[in-house]
Amino acid sequence: MFAGRLEPEQFTQAIAARSEQDHDPMSSLCLACTDVLDVTGAGLILMSGGRSLGCVGVSDEMTEEVEQVEYTLGEGPCISAFRSKAPVFDPDLADDGEVEWPEFRRGALAAGIRAAFGFPLLVGWICIGALNLYRDEAGGLTDFQVDDARVVAHVVGRTLLAWQTDAPPGALAWQIERVPSHRMHVHQATGRISVQVGISLADALVLMRAYAFSQDLSVSDVAAGVATGEIRFD
Amino acid sequence: MAREQDLLAAFIELADTIVAEYDVVEFLHRLAARCIDLVDATEAGIMLADRDGALHYVASSSERMRLIELFELQHDEGPCLDAYRDGIAVSSVLSDEVSARWPHFAPHAREVGFESVSALPMRLRSEVIGALNLFSTSTEPLSAEDQQVAQALADIATIGILQERAVNDARVVTSQLEAALESRIVIEQAKGIVAERNAITIDAAFTLLRSYARSHNRLLSQTVHDIIDGTLSTDALNERTPSPN
Repeated sequence: MFAGRLEPEQFTQAIAARSEQDHDPMSSLCLACTDVLDVTGAGLILMSGGRSLGCVGVSDEMTEEVEQVEYTLGEGPCISAFRSKAPVFDPDLADDGEVEWPEFRRGALAAGIRAAFGFPLLVGWICIGALNLYRDEAGGLTDFQVDDARVVAHVVGRTLLAWQTDAPPGALAWQIERVPSHRMHVHQATGRISVQVGISLADALVLMRAYAFSQDLSVSDVAAGVATGEIRFD
Repeated sequence: MAREQDLLAAFIELADTIVAEYDVVEFLHRLAARCIDLVDATEAGIMLADRDGALHYVASSSERMRLIELFELQHDEGPCLDAYRDGIAVSSVLSDEVSARWPHFAPHAREVGFESVSALPMRLRSEVIGALNLFSTSTEPLSAEDQQVAQALADIATIGILQERAVNDARVVTSQLEAALESRIVIEQAKGIVAERNAITIDAAFTLLRSYARSHNRLLSQTVHDIIDGTLSTDALNERTPSPN
């Protein structure tokens, strides 16, 4: 771990080191974030027009779970970081201060997370998504750590675009394409629910999120139930 | 002292412009205007190269300057083109000897009142992106000091333009990324719709969508959009061949 003043090269070396351990490119990217920053988990979401297009990478299972929480609720530091184009900090999810993401806190704590930070992925003035950083213990980031995380977010944004630059027209870069299939199940379930209820896809997603929230499930759990027919909305 | 203050103000103005989102053409018109305030030239103009290396008129301090820049381009000769091609500054008084170098340009420039011309390359390291023209009605060529000032202004403009291009490139890839991700999601949603309506598996639904697209000579992305917005019914998907019309 580096104590502040991270050079972009140190981060790219960490990504390369993780790749050599046979991690896929997206996991290597997320794991390298945890290697150079003082955090226990890192997750990446891509956004378009204020809408989450979903999580495309995580460093570990716990982060996967908390990203599901954020996607289910449509609230959390990542989404706020994207909207404000500025870093967002929640150093202690268990304190009683006011936050924009109370339900996210509840879900993240249940997943074992104590601190969460969101950094926008900015390329020039364009924000393509956000980097979520998590800790399993409470504690804020020092100014140096914030600077380091900005460096990391910058390199992550550039890396995603570099991957996409090499993709054939219309296709998603293969490194990003390898999204876990359960995330695709959510979109398939959205299609099914829209038919079952006779509503738009946007409304179907809202309905699925509301159902997940009320049943204390993740959206992906509900999607799995919809796929097997155990959960029906008609 | 006054000149130093003016110079400083010009640099601050140009630098301020390029840190925010800006219009390149407006920025270069401003650069041209600042140049004639700060150096001993009557008119200033800027040409930029496109990606294939062909120069284009971009900005000038006056209509007279715009016309003579276009004249240079039309006849493919003149100081601006030389500065761009060779990547070095050109400065000369429009004497009869010079007319041999620019047989079309030199007589025309004198005709419209210019007596000396300078052109400075707009360059960052090995990349030359265009040139800055400084024309004068005086027979004195641009002083070394003026040339230095103008080159510094041209350098700042070059950095601004290259930065803007990098941002634009990123913008293009960003929209490609968003579009590809969106289309991925839309395909999954359409699979869900077709699977649910036809009571078939997700894989069978995908096969149906693809074979419809192929047999009807349509793009998969268009087919899934039609399913989602309802213009294509799931029953029609089962037709193996296009209906004759």
